[in-house]
Amino acid sequence: MRRCLGSPVRWWGNALKGPAAVVTAAALTLCASGCAAMPGGGRVTSVKAQERSEQADESYVRLIPVAPQNNWSPRDIVSGFLSASASFDDDHKVAKEYLANANSWRPGPRPSIAVFADRPDLRLIGTGDDQVTIRLIGTQLGIITTDGQYTALQKNVQADYQVTRNAQHQWRISALPDALGQTMLLNKSDVEQVFRTFNLYYFAPDKHTLVPNGVFLPLVNREDLPQRLVQAVIAGPSSWLRGTVWSAFPRGTKLVGLSLDKDVATVDLSKEAASGNVNQMSAQLAWSLGPLSEIKQWRLRIEGRGVVTPDGKSDVQTFSDWQAYSPDGPASSDHRAYTIGAAGHLSTLNLNSFIPMPVVTNAPGRMVRPAVSPDQHEAAGLSPDGKQLLIADITSNGVPRALRTAKDPEGRFTPPCWDRQGTLWTVETSPGKSMLWKRERGKTLKPVWHWGLDGREIYALQVARDGVRVAVVAKIDENRKQVQLGRIAGSGDRIDVGSFVPVSSELAETDDLSWRDYNTLAVLGRKTRGTQVLPYLMPVDGSAVTSLGVGSLGEPVSIAAVPGGPVLIGTKSSSERLVCHQSSFRDRDSEWACSVAGSDPTYAN
Amino acid sequence: MTPPAPAAPAVPPAVVPAPAGRIRRVVWWPVRRWLGRGQRVARRVASAAYARWRRSIQVRVVTSTLFISAIVVAILGFFLMQQITTALMDGKTKAALAQLDEGLGSLQRDVGVSNDSGDRLRSAANGLKSRSGPSGLYEVYVRDTTQTYIDGYATNELRAQSVPQRLRDELRSGTTGTRAYTYGKLSYIGHRPSERGLIVAGKTSHYEVYYLFPLVQEQHTLTIVSRSLAGVGIVLVLLLAAIASLVTRQVVIPVRLAAQGAQRLAAGRLEERMRVRGEDDLARLARSFNDMAANLQEKIRELEDLSQVQRQFVSDVSHELRTPLTTIRIAGDMLYDHRDTFDDPAVGRSAELLQSQLERFESLLADLLEISRHDAGAATLDAESLDMRDLVLRTVGDVQGLAERKGSKIVLQLPGEPCMAEVDRRRVERILRNLLVNAVEHGEGEDIVVSVAADRDAVAVTVRDHGVGLKPGEGQMVFDRFWRADPARARTTGGTGLGLSISKEDAQLHGGWLQAWGEPAQGSQFRLSLPRTAGAELRGSPLPLVPPGAGGSRLLFAELEAGD
Repeated sequence: MRRCLGSPVRWWGNALKGPAAVVTAAALTLCASGCAAMPGGGRVTSVKAQERSEQADESYVRLIPVAPQNNWSPRDIVSGFLSASASFDDDHKVAKEYLANANSWRPGPRPSIAVFADRPDLRLIGTGDDQVTIRLIGTQLGIITTDGQYTALQKNVQADYQVTRNAQHQWRISALPDALGQTMLLNKSDVEQVFRTFNLYYFAPDKHTLVPNGVFLPLVNREDLPQRLVQAVIAGPSSWLRGTVWSAFPRGTKLVGLSLDKDVATVDLSKEAASGNVNQMSAQLAWSLGPLSEIKQWRLRIEGRGVVTPDGKSDVQTFSDWQAYSPDGPASSDHRAYTIGAAGHLSTLNLNSFIPMPVVTNAPGRMVRPAVSPDQHEAAGLSPDGKQLLIADITSNGVPRALRTAKDPEGRFTPPCWDRQGTLWTVETSPGKSMLWKRERGKTLKPVWHWGLDGREIYALQVARDGVRVAVVAKIDENRKQVQLGRIAGSGDRIDVGSFVPVSSELAETDDLSWRDYNTLAVLGRKTRGTQVLPYLMPVDGSAVTSLGVGSLGEPVSIAAVPGGPVLIGTKSSSERLVCHQSSFRDRDSEWACSVAGSDPTYAN
Repeated sequence: MTPPAPAAPAVPPAVVPAPAGRIRRVVWWPVRRWLGRGQRVARRVASAAYARWRRSIQVRVVTSTLFISAIVVAILGFFLMQQITTALMDGKTKAALAQLDEGLGSLQRDVGVSNDSGDRLRSAANGLKSRSGPSGLYEVYVRDTTQTYIDGYATNELRAQSVPQRLRDELRSGTTGTRAYTYGKLSYIGHRPSERGLIVAGKTSHYEVYYLFPLVQEQHTLTIVSRSLAGVGIVLVLLLAAIASLVTRQVVIPVRLAAQGAQRLAAGRLEERMRVRGEDDLARLARSFNDMAANLQEKIRELEDLSQVQRQFVSDVSHELRTPLTTIRIAGDMLYDHRDTFDDPAVGRSAELLQSQLERFESLLADLLEISRHDAGAATLDAESLDMRDLVLRTVGDVQGLAERKGSKIVLQLPGEPCMAEVDRRRVERILRNLLVNAVEHGEGEDIVVSVAADRDAVAVTVRDHGVGLKPGEGQMVFDRFWRADPARARTTGGTGLGLSISKEDAQLHGGWLQAWGEPAQGSQFRLSLPRTAGAELRGSPLPLVPPGAGGSRLLFAELEAGD
């Protein structure tokens, strides 16, 4: 023992000899080879999520067409042509191979489309040795015009294709049907595959608020999409909004070129653009190009010269420079929520503590479904039976007075709504008919000049914050209440509210709605008949409906939403009425908390 | 009877190309000059490099280390890259095939074997693609072989042409469950450039599924790896070269020092020693070198001392002999003057003999003194500017009598202009007289030709006889002391055996050469070459050593320079 301790050097020296040296060498080798191995431990690194995942970034599927084969019959040729039309690659190069004269048909990048439900029938008529006629018979569902607007137009279509033999004894289409002209026939699934909805942005009549205009654009090549979008913006709004909104791009403006360098795009406009308002043009481009994740910044050029906006900062613009033109109006974090308190008083609702504070202390219980004007001077509402439209002056703590009583014995009013100009809108409705009323600030209640849904029963109407679009819940057939989107056109006394189109067919039934933001409606509805009514978020551009929040809600009655604020839901149960909100409203899936005694929440927006 | 064709202008106008040619020349001239200059510079650099390569072990070792290690590293890098590429591609292929299996499974679930599958196939393709997300990990191309009018569906911008025909053929001939993969070029619609990719394909019932994986990421990885490999390789090679340079330096520097020491030693600096450091091989080399140098120095000093003693002895003897000789001379003269008065004619003959041998003895003594002066380094040059022709003429005049007695004729070949040179008159005359007397003595009565020539730096005198000549090797020996061509020959004339030695010493004192050429029966020629300026170095001679027309085929064997 003593010897061992006394001579460590010798011990170490002895140990290194023989097997120990081999072991040491092996250990060193292992250490060295360990450097090249994958890490098997270490600290946790948090990674930022993808910034935006938009519809445009999703992958898409293209149809691969077949070129005409040698031994194909005339019917094969027409079938092949119809199939190949769905391929937009290389300007319909393959489809044109079916034509005797390829130049006679120029569909272009935004063709007009006749949408068919299914593949149409083809019949051979008028046989001949060198020329036959193929008759196409099918059901058209609707058309997409060249401006990208889809219009439902169901009808039976019959069209004749002339097919002749060419010099190589191959059948080719020599004449397209006159009735269709340059219009292309596609079936529904082809359209769903090729076309995407994109929001183009134009100015509301106040020329400061942008209005989204959803159009169908063929997604041919993801790389060309920015160019196509800018061209579409410059070309102007679709027929749905034409005449209602205003584009800052002067007539005749063309896109000279759009180049992308990393994430900075350069948009080069022709010289006509010089007479336009640069800020407004930029705002339109900014919002329209917003969904494209590859463009983070861009430069605007007119005739090759850089344009400096806004306020001479630099010629590189970003999306955030143009938030002030948002369709939702100026962003504000000061959301003023109101509710009918437990005692029946109109009360403000503090969004931090969720405690209602009465503001009108007179005549409790007289008014339900209140709506507060943007200046918070007036509140409109309904009588508890819904037959009377009431209005109350908040500032003077006034007693609600009736503006109008429904004429029809079965008649009632939809909950009133204020737009941002302070105009009050409501629909007087009874089964099978309806009438839209409006009351401008300081004027009397008047029916609008034209109301597009006067034959339907309406359950809710909300004007969007841009003041142009209007969302309604309309009864389209027995037990079917659908969300539709229309627009307010005209000015002065000749106001036209119409052109209503369905927003989504995913919900079987909808009870109430409110604009969450310019693209999203918060709705109360059910996915299938017989299930519970639940809150959903419904994008108006046709993308998928998502559910909002988890947990029990009782029976939801009304919904109120605001950009950047919590969605409030008024519920009722057998014993009490409660206002529910999400425990963390920024998280879409957070739990509902129903603790506030009250009903009919609303936002003054 | 055809009339003769009108004479065509046979000569085409030859004016046109001339300006073009001139222009070309004008353009080409500076270019060519530049090229020439560049070539010259390159050649110079190359020859300098070659000289360094030949002269320096270090350069040689470092260069070969660089070269060999570069080759080794390049080979290693190549194999390493090959390995990495294979490993990368193996992993990719494995993952791709797994993906294909999953895709085929989901396709079978989604579309089954139903015939009306256009839309379902489309959504299946979308489903397959959406699993990879928007990151562009792979593209999918699905085909339904039963469809007539649609050639399947492709995701995103992928062109169906990306799938090579060979893979389609492979799949077409295969059965359900066939899986295959290949590499190809993925092309896209729009402006997206085509890129290389891995294409895996599988077949289930009548569906063909192609997964196309762009290999951009792999290419990127390989580029990074290859760049780092190249960087590491270069660093490694340079490091090896640096190590080689360092190691050879440690060996080469002492060797160089030894070489320098040896050079200095050879130059006569016998006190030169190498520094001994440490106890290694090089230290041993230095030590033995030093021992050698010390021994050499000692031996040389001994020899020097010895030769000094001998020279001194000769000088002393010569001087000591003079005094008695003078006395004997006086007595001899007296006897000689009175030789007629002796009764016995034999005594008279003896007196004559005594007289002649006394003269010989005197001249021998004078030569000995002269040569001992040379040996002692006491000979000095008394140079003045003289015309060589005068010297030659005067010497020839002195020897004329002897020549006539021998029956030889002295032929002079003198240049027209003066041949001025800075020379010591006495010594040059002595050399010339020696050469002439030698020529007359060995000339066998033939003509003796004396030539004089001069160029910018030197003057030369040749003396040519046509006597017995010299045997091979004798050209060198003629300058040795007391050397005789024929030992048996009687010393009838005044030759002491030291004349040519002294002449050579004299020529060397001028910085010139004295050389001999000769061949048996061809006669011989001696050439004296002297620099025009005293002390200047002699580079060549204006006259050839070998007389023109004689012994051309044979190498001269007496091309000995005075400095040797």
